[in-house]
Amino acid sequence: MPVYERGYKHWERSERRASPPWWVIARRGIAEPLKRRGFLLLIVLSWSPAVIKGGILYFKYKFGQLADLAGGDWTAIDAGGIYSFLKWQKYFVLILLAIVGTRLIAKDRLENGLALYFARPLTLKDYVAGKMLIILFYFFMVTLFPLYALSLFGYLVTSGQAGLDMLLLTPLRATVFCGLAGASMSLILLALSAMGLRAVFITVGWVLLYLGSEQIANILVLIEGGWMRVIDFPAQYFQAGAFLFGARTDPDFSPWVSALLLAAYTAAACWVLRRRIRPVEVVS
Amino acid sequence: MEVSLDKVNRTAAAIGVRNLTFAYTREPVLQDVSFTLQKGAVGLLGPNGSGKTTLLRILLGHLPLQPGQVEVLGHDMARQPRLARARLGWMPERGGIIPGLSGVALVSYLGELSGMPARDAMQRAHEVLDYVGLGEARYRKCEDYSQGMRQRLKLAQSLVHDPEWIFLDEPTSGLDPKGRAALLKLVQDLARNKGLGVILSTHLLPDVEAVCGEILVLRAGRLLAQRSVGARGRAEHQVFEVEGFGDEASFRARLTAEGAEVTQDGRWCLVTVKGGEGAALILRAARETSYGLRRLRRQTLSLSDIFYELVEE
Repeated sequence: MPVYERGYKHWERSERRASPPWWVIARRGIAEPLKRRGFLLLIVLSWSPAVIKGGILYFKYKFGQLADLAGGDWTAIDAGGIYSFLKWQKYFVLILLAIVGTRLIAKDRLENGLALYFARPLTLKDYVAGKMLIILFYFFMVTLFPLYALSLFGYLVTSGQAGLDMLLLTPLRATVFCGLAGASMSLILLALSAMGLRAVFITVGWVLLYLGSEQIANILVLIEGGWMRVIDFPAQYFQAGAFLFGARTDPDFSPWVSALLLAAYTAAACWVLRRRIRPVEVVS
Repeated sequence: MEVSLDKVNRTAAAIGVRNLTFAYTREPVLQDVSFTLQKGAVGLLGPNGSGKTTLLRILLGHLPLQPGQVEVLGHDMARQPRLARARLGWMPERGGIIPGLSGVALVSYLGELSGMPARDAMQRAHEVLDYVGLGEARYRKCEDYSQGMRQRLKLAQSLVHDPEWIFLDEPTSGLDPKGRAALLKLVQDLARNKGLGVILSTHLLPDVEAVCGEILVLRAGRLLAQRSVGARGRAEHQVFEVEGFGDEASFRARLTAEGAEVTQDGRWCLVTVKGGEGAALILRAARETSYGLRRLRRQTLSLSDIFYELVEE
């Protein structure tokens, strides 16, 4: 007996509530990389700076001058210390987002998956919001979440001496910074993902934008002067966000220039997403 | 031709298109297309580039409406495409999978995106995969499926949310004869026994003949015909070869007055009778005009005869 003769039954709707489409997309996208052991290991590794910083904090307050050997921002538990911690995390952001984000739209476009999505009752905003949440989650996973843990640990280790600044104000500053930077970075990465079909090329593009722009800027700064730092993509986030943490900005150009540049990148990314995400067929 | 959707019973007319014109660039892909469809199996026929896929995309609300009006299941597709899409299933011709997901994960995921609760979607995914014959392969990655399995998977995802209509774009393309027959049997079962409306877009006439009771024929963006096929079509549209002696002019005039179409085809004339009266009308006309009949034979027109007649006109 052919299998189809088992019959087709109509769906009897249950009382359960359905999730909004953006959440369905985000949930599945977040869960998927966690199935890979290597990826989990990378996340654990990305928390190591926070663990080390927490350890130094502990020793500093337990053993006084001993931990000062580590020196610099590592022992600081104020806003400046958190700012430098976020700067250190940028390489983990680069790697993790390259793994999670570059394929997000490209793989849907590769096999005409967009036609399947948009044959459903969901909008472009649902689709982009769902995909953006996936990137944001992993961005927070390496920046904000360890930072929250560190702040709480610092507060506890210092027996409250660090005060509310450590417990509330600094995490709040970091939340605003990571929220804005994460949203902008997610949109830019999604736009890159929407521009190609092969993940490998998109990853190369992402690395060039993130790391390549930094290296080129390093060289050009030596030749042309400090203002050439404007072409360093990740540096713009820290330059624009420095005032949130009361940190020192690059004297060669205004943080407003960085903010404007980032706004322009993000607007361009939105434009690309509007143009590239269409429910029409893509010949692969 | 101005067609008023208001005159059509909105609850009965599942799909209504009025004076639809669409162009991707300058050249119109669809020109002044109007039709209404009741629930059933409808074949969308036409040569390559005739506008079949574009019409399906417009029915799904994928493309912005230019001049024209489209209503699907009572929803105006210019304003409420999402409400209509919740009740429609779509099987695209190319691709149509999401790499990295297993068959059951893909189908349940798309079920959830259609507004189903997660547990319902998963349960239903198993049911429809069983129905299309992919029960054994449900946990395999969908990019590892063969072409026949992919087509079945695409049919399963279009059914997961129990739509009222499914739009199938070239569902049998790339299938071997056995796989093609099996898929058509499924579509036939859905249309005839399960009460689903089906629009089957294809240029394979035998596929339409096997499944559909009605056809829409497009050529160069224009709707050439909408007519019934199969047993119902044969009853509504009969063609006879007639030869005789006597006053042929009066006989022809009489037939024309009764609404039949008369054309000369070599030795005999072809009389096309619409309605269901058939040979009785010809016999009556012959009796009334004293025309002696030497030959009266009904022509059996296949779908390909009808199609090529329409397209070549």
